Amino acid sequence: MAESRDGRIRLTVLGGYLGSGKTTWLRHQLHEGRFKDALVIVNEAAGTPVDDALLGGASALEVLAAGCACCEARGQLIALLRRIADDRSRIDSHARRLEHIVLETSGLAEPGAIVEAIRTDPVLVHHIVVSEIVLTVDALHALAELRGEPLGRRQIEVADRLIVTKTDEADQKAMKRLLATLHRLNPGAAISGAVKGSDVALSPFADAEPEPLPDIPADAEKGPVFPSRLTIGNSVDWAVLSVWLSALLHARGDDILRVKGVVRTPAGRLLLQAVRKVVQSPEVLPEQSEDGSRQDNQIVVIGRGYRADDLRRSLEYFARAGKA
Amino acid sequence: MCASCGFPAAPGHWTDAGVADPAERLRNRFRRAQILKSVLRAYGLTAHDGGQVPGIQVATLSGSQAIARDLAEVWKVAEELGGRPIDPLDARFTGGGAK
Repeated sequence: MAESRDGRIRLTVLGGYLGSGKTTWLRHQLHEGRFKDALVIVNEAAGTPVDDALLGGASALEVLAAGCACCEARGQLIALLRRIADDRSRIDSHARRLEHIVLETSGLAEPGAIVEAIRTDPVLVHHIVVSEIVLTVDALHALAELRGEPLGRRQIEVADRLIVTKTDEADQKAMKRLLATLHRLNPGAAISGAVKGSDVALSPFADAEPEPLPDIPADAEKGPVFPSRLTIGNSVDWAVLSVWLSALLHARGDDILRVKGVVRTPAGRLLLQAVRKVVQSPEVLPEQSEDGSRQDNQIVVIGRGYRADDLRRSLEYFARAGKA
Repeated sequence: MCASCGFPAAPGHWTDAGVADPAERLRNRFRRAQILKSVLRAYGLTAHDGGQVPGIQVATLSGSQAIARDLAEVWKVAEELGGRPIDPLDARFTGGGAK
């Protein structure tokens, strides 16, 4: 890709709601050779990074797992970007140097707030220019999110490009309604479709009616969405985990927005991922010899309407039930 | 995942992904049934998996029964048989109430 005309680093912000397919999309772009020389920064709201394990195709990767970069970890993001800009400034401008950064935000981030933070930083404004905000939109769950989540709407409103994911699994009628709704929320954004990261054509939606989106009462009664981390101890084998998680998603699937983690099982290192009630077939990750497996046997649950401690207690109860 | 940029996905229902060979699969089915039995007891239900035929049998103590195809379906079937919602974050499982 060409460097920016004014010599600043171009920044692509990749956002999208929890489980909407950001990492899957980016992984495929890297595989296809896009963002070839870019530095990829992955931000995860939970303290346990998972997505970095999947982005082996990136030429350089930084992980920011201290919280969401649009709020609690904003300072760390700015510090990281300043360090990157500083390192680059030491290299002769005629030499080959970093020209592009892709920032994959957490699913809870507001890309608008991140862009604002970068644009208003007195140092970064001279070094980094936001070139595009790309947003993944989950064809299966986006309408429900847009009806009830102010964050989902704010994410879409600031995007330059909307990529509707999982289009192969969505009902065509609902899909057209979603596209019409996205167009109404952000008429300026280009809309395209993707399945597992590959581009797919979208049906015309000019005849579809957008979803009437109700006013959302100030951040729902169920309280804020928060990440919790669960350690899968020795007493929790696959039988316990699968029984417990299936029960949890059945009962709380509307409040548990995202589950992800790497679990060691006799069948290998499984990447466990769920978006609401939908659990993806776990990918079997390669074994890692170095410290790459440090985050194994921890799962991150992002949701609302329960106490973090209750997740742990409930899982322990199921583990005891397995011993009885 | 895309076949070229992703890692292979475990076949079958996700709840079966963590077992590698047939013997382990069978052991896992018995373990699951044991856990389900213990958890569902609080709802006046029981679970059984003989390992011979596919599915998990859920029954009330008075004998009504139904077969769930997989773990995800067990909870739906159990709620229909028991007539009340099952929530693993209920106080009985989190230590906040009677077991």
